[in-house]
Amino acid sequence: MKIKIAAKILDANEKIAAENRQIFDNNKIFTINLMSSPGAGKTSLLEKTIKYLREKEKVGVIVGDIAGTDDALRINSLGVPVVQINTGGACHLDANMINNALEDIPINDINLLFIENVGNLVCPAEFNLGENIKVMILSLTEGHDKPLKYPLMFQKSSVLILNKIDLKPFLDVSIEKIKVDVTSLNPSIKIFEVSCKTNEGIENWTKWLQTLIS
Amino acid sequence: MHEFSIAESVISTAVEQCKKNGFSRVEKVRISLGSASGVMSEALLFAFDALKKETIAEEAILFIEANPLSGVCMNCLCNFTIYEPYILSCPYCQSNSFKINSGMEMNIIEIEVI
Ligand SMILES: Nc1nc2c(ncn2[C@@H]2O[C@H](COP(=O)(O)OP(=O)(O)OP(=O)(O)O)[C@@H](O)[C@H]2O)c(=O)[nH]1
Ligand SMILES: [Mg+2]
Ligand SMILES: [Zn+2]
Repeated sequence: MKIKIAAKILDANEKIAAENRQIFDNNKIFTINLMSSPGAGKTSLLEKTIKYLREKEKVGVIVGDIAGTDDALRINSLGVPVVQINTGGACHLDANMINNALEDIPINDINLLFIENVGNLVCPAEFNLGENIKVMILSLTEGHDKPLKYPLMFQKSSVLILNKIDLKPFLDVSIEKIKVDVTSLNPSIKIFEVSCKTNEGIENWTKWLQTLIS
Repeated sequence: MHEFSIAESVISTAVEQCKKNGFSRVEKVRISLGSASGVMSEALLFAFDALKKETIAEEAILFIEANPLSGVCMNCLCNFTIYEPYILSCPYCQSNSFKINSGMEMNIIEIEVI
């Protein structure tokens, strides 16, 4: 016999994401889901952003990696609360992992939560975590063909951080092409060019971020 | 790789619905995937067959319907449907202003149980 279901496949994830969002809203926490391929600079951007904002905002961080605690240790040394999630193989975070991690985050004491997703340019885009915005990083060394090869994350993000612009002189990469393609995929996306090495553009990004929180 | 998580969700929904309705085996599962959903059918079929073992869906066959990306152009007002993972400009007039109506979805349509 046939049973009609007509439901979203990721309905279970969506429901937990909505629960997480309720927790964030109730505690007045602005949450950012930070995504990129491995090594694009997620932890580096967090380090820089936290240095700029830690006097002004109360920041917390959840870091997802397949294994290891290196990233959490880097964040921990900045003196902000951090929880490491090891996905044990999964290539992305899901809402349930965040729900569990929230038990270890002092949610009454923070107003800005960064979630560093697992390094992967495809899978994390499918799973809502309950965040306010999705921010993705593309580093210049990855090449200007990436937006059209991996369109989904560019379509689902509200912000694109173009990182490692200090390396531009050494690369045959067209920032113009990246911007044209990304804007065609997602006309409302906001783009920042930054370097976590020279600090160029970091203040621009953090100032804009602050306008969202207050 | 995320096809594994998606397959897991499909199987748990199918198993849950089967039991809830008082049946004991899932025989077929029918789903639809938008062409811009970012999911690879082959990878999903592989994951489904790997994960169904030792559940009441272990004999189940997964049927995947491919849904096109569809939308409407704000410039020439045409309706378009394409089987591509993304769209950059209207297929008829090349305008960049269009609205996507469907193509990103992943839905379970129905299951067959005994
Ligand atoms: N030249 C240059 N190097 C950078 C920049 N940002 C990050 N890096 C380097 O890129 C490498 C990876 O940076 P991470 O911040 O660890 O990248 P990630 O995205 O957190 O990596 P995973 O968590 O492993 O996915 C490190 O060696 C950084 O020093 C930049 O703006 N310029
Ligand atoms: Mg990292
Ligand atoms: Zn048109």
